[in-house]
Amino acid sequence: MFHTLLRRSRFVERYNRAMDQSAPATVHQQWIEEFEAAARRPLAQRVKYAFIRTYKPVLDDAPFRAFETMADYRAWCEANLPEWLGFGR
Amino acid sequence: MAAAFEYRQAEEIRDVFARHDIRYLFIGKSGAILLGFPDTTQDADLFLDKSQENCSALVVALRDLGFALTDDQASEILSGKDFVQLKNGPFDLDLVFAPDGIERFDDAWARRVEVEHFPVCHPDDIIASKVAANRAKDRESLPRLRAFRDYWKSQH
Repeated sequence: MFHTLLRRSRFVERYNRAMDQSAPATVHQQWIEEFEAAARRPLAQRVKYAFIRTYKPVLDDAPFRAFETMADYRAWCEANLPEWLGFGR
Repeated sequence: MAAAFEYRQAEEIRDVFARHDIRYLFIGKSGAILLGFPDTTQDADLFLDKSQENCSALVVALRDLGFALTDDQASEILSGKDFVQLKNGPFDLDLVFAPDGIERFDDAWARRVEVEHFPVCHPDDIIASKVAANRAKDRESLPRLRAFRDYWKSQH
């Protein structure tokens, strides 16, 4: 499962890189339709649909973490989290 | 593991933080979602003013919200860390005091957007922080987020 997610993540990244900042017109149009549909929903409903919860290995295994700097946090993520979570650079 | 973040919990943050005069902004994808971005995320990210006064009030507010902060953990928040991750409360919360790509809290505060009394970073700041963070998951979300920013600006 992890490898499937990693492959998917890499595919999406390559796809987005290929698109750069300008998505193909059909994709862009679909996004606009999604933005318009979201704008018609009340805020409470948008939040209900948006926040999901799945277990994230390592990241979810401590109740509290504090980092002196953002660079420390980024370095910790890269050293400790599975690549497929997407926290690496 | 905490349950998914709910709208009533966003309201609790807003109301409790207002009671304690806390200067904060929703940032990251959770901020974008409040602005209307249709996507999914797992936790709420808050950008907070790092002043001593704000951090002291924050510790009290977090305990009011149900976060089980030990004295040592409270001290870490008070000591001026750049990033604190909380998973010891009713929902997961990331506290960001120095997000990549945003120079000063006051700048972001001046550009903030209010959505039903929720203070939210301007979409330009949300994008700037993701560009600067440059993680794989940020790169993945940026094209659609930029399209949303353009759509949002056309409506405001």
